[in-house]
Parts: sequence; C-alpha cells; structure tokens
Amino acid sequence: MAAVTIDSLLQNPTLLFRPKAKVLLKPPRSLDCSRNRKLPLSRGSCFCSFNPRRTIHVVRASSSETALIGNFDTSSSDDILYKDIFPVKRIEKVEGKFFIRLDRSKDQHDWQLTVGCSLPGKWILHWGVSYLGDSGSEWDQPPKGMRPPGSIPIKDYAIETPLKKLSEGDIFHEVKIDFNPSSEIAAIHFVLKDEETGAWYQHRGMDFKVPLVDYLEDDGNTVGAKRVFGVWSGALQQFSNVLLKSEASHADSQNNSIESKDSKNKNRCLEGFYEEQSIVKEVSVGNLVSVAVRKSPETGKVIVCLETDIPGDVVVHWGVCRDDAKIWEIPAAPYPPETTVFKNKALRTSLQPKATGNRSGALFTLDEEHFGFLFVLKLDDNTWLKFKGNDFYVPLLGTSSVLDQYGQSDSTTEEISSKSYTDGIINEIRNLVSGLSSEKSQKTKTKEVQESILQEIEQLAAEAYSIFRSSITTIPEEVVSETETTKPAVKISSGTGTGFEILCQGFNWESHKSGRWYMELKEKASEISSLGFTVIWLPPPTESVSPEGYMPKDLYNLNSRYGTFDELKELVKSLHDVGMKVLGDVVLNHRCAHFKNQNGVWNIFGGRLNWDDRAVVADDPHFQGRGNKSSGDNFHAAPNIDHSQEFVRKDLKEWLGWLREEIGYDGWRLDFVRGFWGGYVKDYLEASEPYFAVGEYWDSLSYTYGEMDHNQDSHRQRIVDWINATNGTAGAFDVTTKGILHSALERCEYWRLSDQKGKPPGVVGWWPSRAVTFIENHDTGSTQGHWRFPGGKEMQGYAYILTHPGTPAVFYDHIFSHHRSEIANLISVRNRNGIHCRSLVKIVKAERDVYAAIIDEKVAMKIGPGYYEPPSGSQRWSLALEGRDYKEGCRPSLIILFASAIVVSFFTPKYIGVIDLRARLDQVIIGAS
Amino acid sequence: MEVSVIRICSQATNSKTELGFRDSRFSFGKFNEKLFSPKPNSVSFESPLRWGKSGLRITAQAAQSDPLPKSKSSTKSKTLNRVRLFAGLPLDVVSGGTVNQFRAISAGLKALKLLGLEGVELHIWWGVVEHESMGKYDWSGYLTIAEMVRKAGLKLNVTLCFHASSQPKIPLPEWVLDIGKTKSNIFFKDRAGKPYRGCLSLAVDELAVLNGKTPMQVYQDFCESFKSAFSAFIGSTITGITMGLGPDGELRYPSHRGFAKSDTVLGAGEFQCYDKNMLHLLKQHAEACGKPKWGLGGPHDAPAYSELPTANTFFKDHGGSWESPYGDFFLSWYSSQLIAHGDRLLSLASSVFSDSAVNIFGKVPLMHSWHGTRSHPSELTAGFYNTATRKGYEEVAEMFARNSCKIILPGMDQSDKYQLKESLSSPESLLAEIGTACNKHGVGISGQNSTVGAPDGLKQIKKNMLSENLNDSFIFQRIGAQFFAPEHFPLFIEFVRKLNQPDLNSGNLPTKEGTATATDSVHTRSNLSIHMQSA
Repeated sequence: MAAVTIDSLLQNPTLLFRPKAKVLLKPPRSLDCSRNRKLPLSRGSCFCSFNPRRTIHVVRASSSETALIGNFDTSSSDDILYKDIFPVKRIEKVEGKFFIRLDRSKDQHDWQLTVGCSLPGKWILHWGVSYLGDSGSEWDQPPKGMRPPGSIPIKDYAIETPLKKLSEGDIFHEVKIDFNPSSEIAAIHFVLKDEETGAWYQHRGMDFKVPLVDYLEDDGNTVGAKRVFGVWSGALQQFSNVLLKSEASHADSQNNSIESKDSKNKNRCLEGFYEEQSIVKEVSVGNLVSVAVRKSPETGKVIVCLETDIPGDVVVHWGVCRDDAKIWEIPAAPYPPETTVFKNKALRTSLQPKATGNRSGALFTLDEEHFGFLFVLKLDDNTWLKFKGNDFYVPLLGTSSVLDQYGQSDSTTEEISSKSYTDGIINEIRNLVSGLSSEKSQKTKTKEVQESILQEIEQLAAEAYSIFRSSITTIPEEVVSETETTKPAVKISSGTGTGFEILCQGFNWESHKSGRWYMELKEKASEISSLGFTVIWLPPPTESVSPEGYMPKDLYNLNSRYGTFDELKELVKSLHDVGMKVLGDVVLNHRCAHFKNQNGVWNIFGGRLNWDDRAVVADDPHFQGRGNKSSGDNFHAAPNIDHSQEFVRKDLKEWLGWLREEIGYDGWRLDFVRGFWGGYVKDYLEASEPYFAVGEYWDSLSYTYGEMDHNQDSHRQRIVDWINATNGTAGAFDVTTKGILHSALERCEYWRLSDQKGKPPGVVGWWPSRAVTFIENHDTGSTQGHWRFPGGKEMQGYAYILTHPGTPAVFYDHIFSHHRSEIANLISVRNRNGIHCRSLVKIVKAERDVYAAIIDEKVAMKIGPGYYEPPSGSQRWSLALEGRDYKEGCRPSLIILFASAIVVSFFTPKYIGVIDLRARLDQVIIGAS
Repeated sequence: MEVSVIRICSQATNSKTELGFRDSRFSFGKFNEKLFSPKPNSVSFESPLRWGKSGLRITAQAAQSDPLPKSKSSTKSKTLNRVRLFAGLPLDVVSGGTVNQFRAISAGLKALKLLGLEGVELHIWWGVVEHESMGKYDWSGYLTIAEMVRKAGLKLNVTLCFHASSQPKIPLPEWVLDIGKTKSNIFFKDRAGKPYRGCLSLAVDELAVLNGKTPMQVYQDFCESFKSAFSAFIGSTITGITMGLGPDGELRYPSHRGFAKSDTVLGAGEFQCYDKNMLHLLKQHAEACGKPKWGLGGPHDAPAYSELPTANTFFKDHGGSWESPYGDFFLSWYSSQLIAHGDRLLSLASSVFSDSAVNIFGKVPLMHSWHGTRSHPSELTAGFYNTATRKGYEEVAEMFARNSCKIILPGMDQSDKYQLKESLSSPESLLAEIGTACNKHGVGISGQNSTVGAPDGLKQIKKNMLSENLNDSFIFQRIGAQFFAPEHFPLFIEFVRKLNQPDLNSGNLPTKEGTATATDSVHTRSNLSIHMQSA
C-alpha cells in the first residue's frame, strides 16, 4: 500500500525549494472519508498494479439553463409573483490518478522515471535533483542531459517540464526523465503543478523524492524504494518514526533488492517500481437554482417552488423574514416532507429528486404575510452554497406591484398632479410613524405599503447622499497640525527607528536593467518623500555575479548594475536632503568566490576581503568549506559564509561601518537571515549602530492539504525567535501576515485576520514593534512573482498594513502605479493620526466577508465586501479613503475612517458612511429582477 | 386622551391679543376616549376626511372654551406639542444664479416630504442676490428652489442673510466689500482695530454709507424686491421669513472670531465697540450721562478673545468691573444698541411683510459658555446684558413681542453633560432662561440645532421639543451628505418617528393626527392650526 498523500499547495512556492520548514500535518479531515463524493485523499494502494481501480471522474457538465426555464414555463404561470434563477458555483472535486514509474529504458543502460497524470489540466512537473553528499533537502538543477525537451529552468534549483499526452487516445499526461544511474545524483525530487488552477500537488507537504541510492536519510517523503510503506496504516504524523523503527524488522521480508547499506559504490542497485495514487483536483462547476413564487388561488397561500440541478443530496436551510432586515424566522407549519428544525432558527428540508432529469426540488407553502423567503443550500457538512456571499433572498410580497405603485414617482410633474396620492402617502407615513406600538394589530397590507414608503425614502436619501457626497472634499486639513505636535518623542532603536517609520522599497527586480537606477531614483527622491515615506530601502550595492545584486563578490566594490559608487553616494545624499533615512541591502549570508581551490571548487575570495575556504561553512558540499557547520539554512547558489569565524565577523563589522561612513547608509535590510544565527546579526548591528534594520526571514507557512492553516503560530514563532536572537536589534519582514492576507483576501476568508486570542495573526500580533509588514517585494512580486499578492486586492492589503501597528513597507511597483494616490492617502491617514509600530489594534470584526478594526481608537478600517460601520457614540468619523472592488459588488472593498474630534463646521462631512442604504437597495433590486 | 390647541400667531395686527393662548390645552378625558378608542387604527387613515372634519369641529369648540391656566398644563407633561419640523437646505444651494446639486435637492425634498416634514429652510444671501451692484437683484436660483419646494408639497422658511458665511465661503456683496476697503468703519472693530467683515456694524444702520443710502434702506429695498419676486409663494409656500440680524444671522456682536472648537474652552470674547461710529455713539451717550470720560472706549480691563474671563478684572465673579457703575453704564449702552438694531430690522420686516401671511423670525444666539459664572462674559460681549443679577433676555423678548416676531434659538442639541467642565457652560439652563423670558412676553420659539453638532444631539432636541422651550417649529440643520449619510439618516427617520410617539406614552394607544386636512384650514381660518393627539 502506498500511503502517499497528495497535498495541493496553493501559492507557496517557497516550500518547494526550501522544504526544511516544518510543515504541520494535521490528520486528514475525517469527514472527507464519510462524504458522498469521492474522497480527495485515498490511502488505497496500487502497488505494482497496473489496473486502474477507479473510474475516472469527468467534470460534470452543468445542465443547461434553458432546461430549467422551460420547466418553469410549464408550471402554471398565471399567479407567479416572482421567479428567478440564481447561478451558483460550487467546487467539485474531480478524482483521477497519477503514477510514478521507475524502470530501465529500452537500451537497458539508462533508467527512466515516468510521471503521469490522468486528470485533465496543464500539468507541470516541477523538479530537481540532489547529489550524493548533499545534506539537507535543497534541490539542485539536474544536469543538462537529463532534462527532457521543453524543460524550463526555474532559477538555479529546479526545472519545470510539462506533462504531455503521448497520443490523443491516451488517458495519461506523461513526462519521462532519462538518467544514468552511475551519475552523482542521489535522488530526484518533484512536485506536480496544475497550471490551470495554480495548485501544487505535493507529497505530504513535501516534495516527492525518488531515491536513486538507498542510504538516503528518509524524511518521510520517499516514494517507491521502500516497500514497507504499505503495511502501515497509522496516523500520518507518526509515519517517519514508525518507518525508522520498522526498517529492521521488515527489511528482509519485504525488501529483496537492497543489498548493502555501507558501500557507496555498491548502492546502485535500483529496482523498478510503479506506483499509482489517486489525485483530486478542485473544479469549479456552475449550477442553477431556480425559484418561483406562486399564489395559490384556492388557499391564498404563497407557494415557493425551488429547483436545482446540483447533483447529490441537497438540503435547503431556510426561513422567512418579516421585513427588509432579513432576520431569519421560522414560519408556521406545515412544512414539506423531510423537514427538520435547526436550532430554532431555521428549517432544513431535503430536496426530493424530480422524475425528469437529474434535478431535485421542493415546494414550500407559506402564509401570505411573510415578507421574504431566505435560504442557503447545504451540500454536505462543510459545503454551503450562498448567493454572492449572502443568503438567497426571495421576496414574497408582490414586490413588482408595490414598486409599480410607489417606486417610479421620479418626475416632479407627477407629484403635483397626484396631490391626493401624496397625501395618501403622507397619511400612511403618519400611520407608520405613530402606529408602531400597535403593530401587531395592523393589517399586513398597511405594513407592506409602509415598508415600501420607507424604502422609497431610503432610496431617495441614498440618491441625495451619493450626489452630495461626490461634491465634497474630505479630510479637513486643520487636523494636521494638531496631531503632529502630539507625536511623543521616542527613543530610536535599530529595531524600530522612531516607531513612526514607513518604509519604501526603492527598486524592483528589473531596476538593474537601465544601469542608472541610482540616478533615476534620485529624481524621484522628493516625490517619494512627499508621499510620507521616512525610510527607503535601496538595492544591494556591491559587485555581484547576478545583476540584481544578491550574489555579492567583492564587498568593497560598490560599482553595480544600479550605478557607480559616486552615484550611490549622490543618491543617498539627495535622499537625506529630503529627509529620508536610507537602508542598504546587505547580503551577509553568502558571497561568491573569486578563485577556485585546488579541487576546482570556487571558494577562495579576492578583493579587500580575501578570505579563504575557512570562511565558508563546512556543511555545504558544493563549496567544500573548512569553516564550522552553518548556524542556519543553506543558500545553495553560493558559498555560505561561516559567521562563527572571528575574522569574518570582524571584517563584516568593519565593512558595515565603512558603508555607514562612506555611503551614508542609515541602516540595513539584511538578506536571507535564515542562513545564520540571529545572534551574529545582533553583533553586527551593535557594531554598526544603524538607525533601522530589518531582516528577511522567509520560510513557508503551514498548510494542510492545500489549505492554509488558520493558526500560523509556528510560522510567526520562527520569525519572532530570530528577532529575539538579535535581541530585538532588528525587525523582520512579517511574512506571516502577508501569507494570511493572501488567503483571507483571495478566498474571502477574512476571519483569518484574527488569531485565537483576537489579535492580528501575524508577527504584528505578537511583536508589533519589530514587524515590518509588507505585501510584496522584488522576489514575491515584480517580474519574478514567486508569491504574488492576490491581484486586485493590493489596496486591501495596504489598507491593512498601513493602518495597523508594525512598520509598513510599500513596494516600489505599487507606489508608481494607479494605486499611488490611495497609498498616499493611507500614509497620510497613518501619519496624521500618529499610528506607530506599537499602536493598539482592536479587532471589531473578523468574519467571512469582512474584517474591521479600530486602531488607537482613532482610525477605523474595514476591508472586505461585508458591512461594517464604526460605533457612532462620542466619536465622529471622517472618511479618509474608500476603495471599491467592482467585482465584489457595490459595497466598498475597503474603508478607512479616522476620528475627528475637531469639527470645522457642521457641514464638513464628519463621517461618510458605508453605503448601507444602497446595499439594501441592491438587495431589493436583486430580489425584484 | 388629550387634544391640544396651538395657535400660530403670525401677524402684527392682532397677535398681541392672541399671545396668551398659545399654550392652552384641553383635556377631553372620557369624551374623546369614547369617540376614538374603539377602532383607533381604522379611524385616521382610511377616512382622513371624516377624521379631519371631526377634529376641526372639536377644536373649534375648544378654541371657544376658556383656556386653562398655564400652570395646569404642567401636569400634562406627557403631551407633545406638535412642532412643525423643517430641515435646512445647504447654505450654498444657490450660487451664481443656479441651483447646485439639483437632483440631490430634488430627491432630498421628496424624501423629506414622505417622511412627513413640514418644510425646508432656505438661506438667501445678500452676497449672492445683490452681488454685483446695489439694487441689482438676481433671484433666479432661489426662485427655482421655491418652485421645487412648492412642487414637493413642502413649506418654505426663508432666511434673509445680510451677513457672510465662511464655510461655505459666501462673502458680503462685492460692492459692499469695495466700500469697506476705503471705509473700514462700516464694519465692527475690536479693541485692536481689526474689522469684522462678516456683516455691517450696527452703528451705521442709519448712516448713508452705502452709495448714499443707509444700510437700513438697502435692507428694505432688498426685502421689497424679495417680496415682489416671491409674491407667488409668500403666504402659501413661504410661511416664514427669518430676518438676518448680525453675524451668522444672529442678533449679537461678533464677539468671537473664528470657529468654535468643541474641544477647547471658549474665551470670554471681546467687546466690539471700537469702530469709529460705535465710539462716536458711546461718546455721545457718555456725555449725555454726564460721564464724558466713560465714553472714550470700551472697558480697559476686559480680557482678549481667547483669554479666560478670569484673565482680567472686568468679569471677575466678585468685585469685577461689570458690577461697578461704569460696568452698568457700558453694558446697558452696549446691549441697548444691539436691541435697538434688532428692533430696527424686525420692524422693517414686519412692515414690509405686514400684508403677507407669514411669520417673521429673528435668531438669538445661545451664548452658553461661562453661563455658570456670575457675569456671563460670553453673553455680555455678545451684547446681552444678562448676568446673575439681571434678566437681560426680558428686553430682548419684549422687543420681539413688540414686532410680533418669533425667536429662533439655536443649540437645542446641546446638553450640559457634554460641555467642557472648565467652560462653566450650561446650554440647558440658558435655554430655559430665554424660554422663560419668551413665554412671559408671548414670543414663539423655533428651535435649531447648533452648527457644530453635539453628541446625542437628536435626543436633546427631542427633549427640548417636549418642553416649554420650543413651541413653534424646529429647523434641523442641515441637509447635505452628512444628513443623508447612512450613519445619520436612519437615526433621523427614527427621530421623526419618535417625535410623534414620545417614550412616555409609547405603550398606550397610537398617536393620531389629522394634520393633512387641518393644516389647510390654517390659511383660511384665522391662522389657527390644530393638532390632536391621544395620550
């Protein structure tokens, strides 16, 4: 049994090549196994079996809309008060399989690894190899000869090769990798990627590993070679432990191919294998839900007819409401068959299959006094279908007729001619106004009219509001001077700066191309400063093997693709002139060598710091360092510097001092600080006394089966640990917050933005003063796009980080884009309200579709399509910024407000609210259409 | 159940005799209960006509019955005066002859009508209408508004503004400012000689400083022109005209310059008697009193604008100069000048509109800062000689009564508990003081909320509307984005609903009104408006 699980990993490429990160594996959700539909994960083994054991699931075509409409027409249409068809999207899991085969190629000398997949899609094999003697689990690129045609190198550690169908009739997309078993390659690593959905398929949270030698340390992700897998059915977490224990006892009985473990030369006893696993892909399927409301002429009751083409068991979770507030209530019996009461709040009715077609439906008979019918569909315990994020809503009153009567009195001429009509309405209003206390005795008919009048009032008010509002300039300037004086004098520490810093990343991945970036940036200095940035991060300045500067060679040679030494000095001076502090991007983890040693390995340095191989860590086999073992993770492309060496540290401190002195840098952005102990950073910072310093500690968040875990405490703990190791002398980029924002914004899961304790879930929730929040940088975005922030959600991301504590960093590409003015607004709100890295954030809402928080009781913000309104008590709120995501519908996707205690005059808008009225009207319109 | 009868006293000719009737109320007790209780809900709306008729009949009887003494009405505190509710249009609704945000105004008017408001209030600016040159009036934009209001079925209360607005910026007419450039003494001046360009000094009222005409003549021409331009509306759509009396339209001196900030303690303000003409009047007065030395200037020991009253000796609680003979001399003169000015303008309005069925209003400020001290510095500098020992608003109310005008009191949304403690401010007690004076002289009170806004404002307004402080109408300031904002408008709807259904009797029978037909009778029958409520 090949207990290989597939983990679909969304958007986290870092995990692929830096898999040292501990990935939390939660037990597979047991409910998966009990669900009706095919299991996403299968423990079923197919060892050496070539028989596809499962039928291949093809994406189900949704039934056509016309069919549903046609169905309606046949029903008695005389009394139809309302009908509508709601399109719904649901995620269907499509199951297929994929296989890994290792066998001899035809010529019997070379071996061949074949990976195939039966699911439709654009499959890519993302792979690399590890060499003999490598430790750790980083990948390297395979030798050229090994790469199948069509392969694309990804940076310097991986290859991407598309899977192809060999012929049209084939079920499987395949890729074949030929290799020579006598090469230095110890294992092939891969993950599978679906280009269509961007999903990654992994092996238990790690890459698949096909060992070509048998003594490799097993990380629990080995495929094929160890036959013992199948006997184990224990919980996944125990797997690797169990495996180690079991090896001895089961090796003989199960494994006749491994001959020897102690001889390096005799370990090439490969044996072919074939393994097949099920793979599940999530496909979005469109279905329709149709609703018709009829009035029964005999009984006078309202009949709601609901039908859908969603396959399988569908339960309608429903209720009625008595007004526009759409508060769920349970109507009086009778209910349709198979109805249960759910927690006194709603009813649940299973849809009954229809005789014709694969549809199911139900009829609900209701008294006519109800205002609307509310429902959501429940497919299984975890799958609910809603309508655009809200409950489905079906108006029950003869909405259209009410609207005809009262909704169209737009023209002023009509008003005069119908004075009696107006008077009638006034009377009704008065009635409404005065008669509330005896509502129970009111006839429902009057209530309908009252409601519709109220609706019209609201509609008119909304119209007036929108016009008035559009012609008003917001943000009274008077506030500025007031708050600036209240800035407390803060002691400057290199971990925080003043605490009021706002960081600008002053370059992107392409900035080196012009060769004169320093000069280009110099022209923008005053502009950037005027936006409110206090600190700018410049690209790595040293001579570098790669043009972007992250492969430094001679640290004292500051002529780079960004410009010359002198130009850099000039730039820094201009930036200082406009009042900004400047961070140098210093790469301390690794350094490219000038010369080869006697073995032909590049590990001898030149230039002013002419270190030899003692400066290189010993545990990176590529570079044969003679130093100590690395105190952190290895970066593979260049010799990793051994910071435990006294002379290295002395030289680096001197270098940093020189940069401060010579160039005028005020602080540092420290590259790849995962590579060495934070205590050394503390040493460097105490020596170079920067104004501000921030480290890049980037590793992967925790995912379980492709879904990001809500709890990212282990992830942020690692970053906090590093900051702690620096003794708080440096801040760190808040990768956790970025990752959580990804999921929250992209999947409309705003609840993720609060941790279990009601605090921000990233580093900013634990150690805000040291968290440098960001949403994009030159690696994640720009032209590299390793982990790009969800498109279109950037402003929500900035709304979050620029209103929250921590030190926010804004990426160059976003500053010089259409987001610019909004970003400037946000920065100005931050500055005006004196939000700083230690500001207090009170999370008010963290729900599915809305996140809202109040910061320092001065700024209220919300992101997400949901509704939020700040408390109106003693504070007045002024609108600072309102963003709109047209895809989300009509509510603003983000709103930032600040409390303005000082009111310049009554008609300066103190608060411009969430468009509640409009939103309500939309619902009315949706309901009526 | 109770029926209340409120008289709207409107015109100069016969109003004095009617004044005493304003608060008459009648309790019909069982009689009404019998009449209306059995089917309370069906009566009023399905057949408003019938209801209206019966209501009229009853009130006619009531009007002829003996009015109850006022003291008795206090036992009926549950009763709610039917106060007519207005909303102010944006101050800059008209500029350059055109209506701004036409569609928004039009939608807003409809919404207000549906909500049951009586009407809207419109500021007509001297600086807009007579902008270019003296005697050249452009009423077009305002006429459009009046037409819109009429079409919407609402009433209109017009405020004639002979002052400037700073926010939005609406200055005095250009030609007036031009004159002011050479003759800065047409403006009020403070001790430092700094002119206030928001309105003309009251000292020039009768001086021919405007191209050979006196400001009073210019104001009168303006009013006459208005009357003829709006003749089609006056008395029908336009039911009230508010006469601008000074800074921000209020009867006062511009003793505070700049904006009041809600989070800082307001200073005492400064006396504004330093323009040449004021000084001249003061000198004359002093000489007439035989104290020529007192006529050389204002009090030397008064604090500056933003200084606390205690910063100098004039306003000192005990032994301050305000209590000295000199203080009395100066303050009497200073306040009488203001009252005389108000009298001039209100009698002008009364005479111009004497043959029109409109109410004339004047606005009196609510200078509530420092009301807790003995000297009431803010009131004194603003021109109201009202102290712990002197009831200064009597004269003011008397002047209004003399001209058959009603008072507009702003600040109805201000409550004591949200005032800064340091300012010893008490809007509520000042309001009650003015209210008492008005009631004594039979001056109707129309309320407004303050322009700065206040926490829990609507609650306070409601409280005032249920009290004696307010008995004519309430003008809610002000329509605009904020007014219709989802944060505010639903509250306003709720406010309007609750006005007609006070908490006290919410558990009882529904409140009923027959206003729709009853108000029609207002203009046909001796300006009597009838409102009925069950309690």
